[in-house]
Amino acid sequence: MSLKHGLVLTGAFAATLVAGWSYAVTPKEIDAPSYEKMQILADIITIVEAEYVEPVETQTLIEGALNGALAKLDPHSSYVPPTTYTEQRKAARREYGGLGIEVIMEEGLIKINYALEEGPAYGAGIRSGDFITAVEGESILGLDLDEAVEGIRGLAGDPVTVTVLSPDQEPRDLSVMREQVRGRAIRHRVEDGLGYVLIESFNNTKLTTDLERALELLEEELGSEIPGLIIDLRGNRGGLLTQSVSVSGLFLDGGEVLSVRGRKDVDTERYHADDGEVMPDMPIVVLVSPGSASAAEILAGSLQDRGRAVVVGRRSFGKGSVQSVIPLPGNKGALRMTTQRYYTPSGKSIQGRGIMPDQLVSALDDTGELRRRIREDNLPNALLNVDTSDYEEVYEDVIFPPEEFPITEDFQLRTAVEILKGSRYQELLDAQSDLD
Amino acid sequence: MKYVLPVVGTAAAVGLFAFSSANQAALAVEKPSYSDTFEQLDLFADVMARVRSDYVVEVEDGELIEDAINGMLQSLDPHSSYVNPDDFRRLQEQTSGRYVGVGMEVTQEDGYVKVVAPIDGSPAKEAGVKSGDYITEIDGKTVLGLSLTEAVNIIRGEAGESVTLTIARIDEEPQDITLVRREVDREVVTYEVKDGVPYIRISQFNEKAAPGLAGAITELKRTVDGRLPGVILDLRTNPGGLLDQSIKISSAFLDSGEVVSTRGRDGSDQQSYDAEPGQLLNGVPVIVLIDEASASASEIVAGAIQDRNRGLVMGMTSFGKGSVQSLIPLRGGRDGALRLTTQRYYTPSGRSIQGTGIDPDLFVSSYPDDGEDHTRVSEADLPNSIENEEAPADDETADEATEDELIIDYPPEGFVVTDDYQLQRAIELIKSGNYNQRLAEMQN
Repeated sequence: MSLKHGLVLTGAFAATLVAGWSYAVTPKEIDAPSYEKMQILADIITIVEAEYVEPVETQTLIEGALNGALAKLDPHSSYVPPTTYTEQRKAARREYGGLGIEVIMEEGLIKINYALEEGPAYGAGIRSGDFITAVEGESILGLDLDEAVEGIRGLAGDPVTVTVLSPDQEPRDLSVMREQVRGRAIRHRVEDGLGYVLIESFNNTKLTTDLERALELLEEELGSEIPGLIIDLRGNRGGLLTQSVSVSGLFLDGGEVLSVRGRKDVDTERYHADDGEVMPDMPIVVLVSPGSASAAEILAGSLQDRGRAVVVGRRSFGKGSVQSVIPLPGNKGALRMTTQRYYTPSGKSIQGRGIMPDQLVSALDDTGELRRRIREDNLPNALLNVDTSDYEEVYEDVIFPPEEFPITEDFQLRTAVEILKGSRYQELLDAQSDLD
Repeated sequence: MKYVLPVVGTAAAVGLFAFSSANQAALAVEKPSYSDTFEQLDLFADVMARVRSDYVVEVEDGELIEDAINGMLQSLDPHSSYVNPDDFRRLQEQTSGRYVGVGMEVTQEDGYVKVVAPIDGSPAKEAGVKSGDYITEIDGKTVLGLSLTEAVNIIRGEAGESVTLTIARIDEEPQDITLVRREVDREVVTYEVKDGVPYIRISQFNEKAAPGLAGAITELKRTVDGRLPGVILDLRTNPGGLLDQSIKISSAFLDSGEVVSTRGRDGSDQQSYDAEPGQLLNGVPVIVLIDEASASASEIVAGAIQDRNRGLVMGMTSFGKGSVQSLIPLRGGRDGALRLTTQRYYTPSGRSIQGTGIDPDLFVSSYPDDGEDHTRVSEADLPNSIENEEAPADDETADEATEDELIIDYPPEGFVVTDDYQLQRAIELIKSGNYNQRLAEMQN
């Protein structure tokens, strides 16, 4: 059992980043009481194999045993049987196919919101703002977005003919070769004269590049410097640790972004921002929700701790633990186990506590109490945080949408815009340093 | 964590038990592949070693292995489990009918502990705990995430100590009640004469059940001057208990012949259990009341009386637990015991009721036909429950046939549920003089 390689996973659900993983110490010898318990387990297996009302495989029994033990550790530790493990590794490598466009439905037609510059659609001359009216000669009028997009998707290498309508031009048929293209993990748009970027996930190795490019595009569209930026991390379950560090690093000039600490001090890893930051004078509001987890919390937490952004929304999920996926010898599957915890630059653990917004804002109307949300600390057997300061959301501190606020609009986003446009931004930023 | 037992609890012995020491001797019969077992145990040990050295916090090894054992047995079926030495001692107390606690039968639903029934004369009953109450917190801590066994262990304790339960009821604010634990003497047989008809209720099949029934019959005979017009045997919400008690109870109604048979894996080691001679209720009409919570040993008694045409079964389809658990002491009980499903049982006509339950001869509902679903959890709803090997999965003809015949007698509109419509119908049938005719109809 010398050097093992494993996958380090971040994110409440997602799997990915490959990293080295090694034993710092040799496993400690099993002690006598444990040995006795092992003996009980062995006795039970022998009896079950002989006596159970139906025949059972030993492997099934051991899987049940491993799951029983690991589920009691915390909600993110588990045993991964050989078949699942192989499938997960394949899934992590799979790439999406298509034309490289981000679309929305507008007036019954597909509207191109963004065409990836390296994608085949962009190469064929399709640009943001264009419409697709028909696929393979079939009008898409009357279809919903999923149905309309269905015809566009297909095997890489197969061409598809789309009818494209550009402003002030006659409709034209374009044959575009489907390619394996990656999707952007972000969406961007100008919002009320401000920049808005939605980061859906950190599971994209080009996220930081996409974000830098999106900021450039926003400047182009605004025709000036971005007067204020909203980074929307609501519902973002996390993803690659490296991406959360490099995205944080875009907005920070050196210094610590995050530390990852294991059981022993020697296991502590510290991550730093590169020197230099983009748009240092641009105010930033980060939107979070109880669905923002892991890598999303690292970004929100580092920008908040370093006084670089104001965090708005509801307290985030609180998934501040790192799982290592350790392959077991002899093709026996793998062990997915929590080995470390995340700490923001000020040394606070995210685990079981999350990031508390500087301004609490509810997306939904005021019912006289805070709606309960499922977070890490509600999960059975979750690792709890000893630091419970500034952890409970206080109802009185929450801004709720006024009664007449239209339900179809985004009150948290609206509040973020107001904060950036008024004096509230600086006040909230000042309040952060008062706390420290 | 999925862990649902139908009815376990502070008071109830679970399901059906055959206390077994013979089972260990049987180990020598079959030889599993030991090399595979050792290889798999190696894998387990390997994982434990890694957890020990690298998990984010230090972990108690022993606890981890106990969790593993429980996880392994839960993956088999809802009734197999590990009984640690402390629980093993308590379990022996329970089957003997006495134990220290607050006195309720509980189950688990949606992660909460749900009260099946408070026990008469217990702290829970005195404090007003009701059937159907949900326990959401114990001593201020949520029960979410706890297995039923864990929750029950926290509720139990030493006599004289108190425990605070947060009780939630539908349409009511949750309330805290504090109960002082004490020795609860669990009388499992109660009886009385209702509207001139002898009525006997057995709430559980522990060691006191058969002697209790014999005593009840003697007393009832005395009350009605020796001549019993009929007996109503109430097995509703009775979760079961000891196999031998179900045979003894059946023997009060049957003079000889098979009550039940059990079969192990591949139909091996079949064993037939016959009624003991000298039935106490020779020639007395019998109506057995069952409902969705009548399980296991209750279903054996109801099934035997039904199959042997000894009486009428009335109420609703029973729970459907047709498996037998053996309680196998580990190293003489020093390491606790293994509660393991080892056999299925079959009624005298050869039916397995696993997952299907006993259909009453006369369907009578205790709830009005108000379109609401009053059905409770049954065995077939439990995670990992074993299947009935006889039941064809898609036998539509059988389904249609039952639906055609399924005539349910509902209480009239405005009938108060607590007035017990099922019992009233049973009393009426005995008093009407139509009993023999109905019994003959069932025979055809």
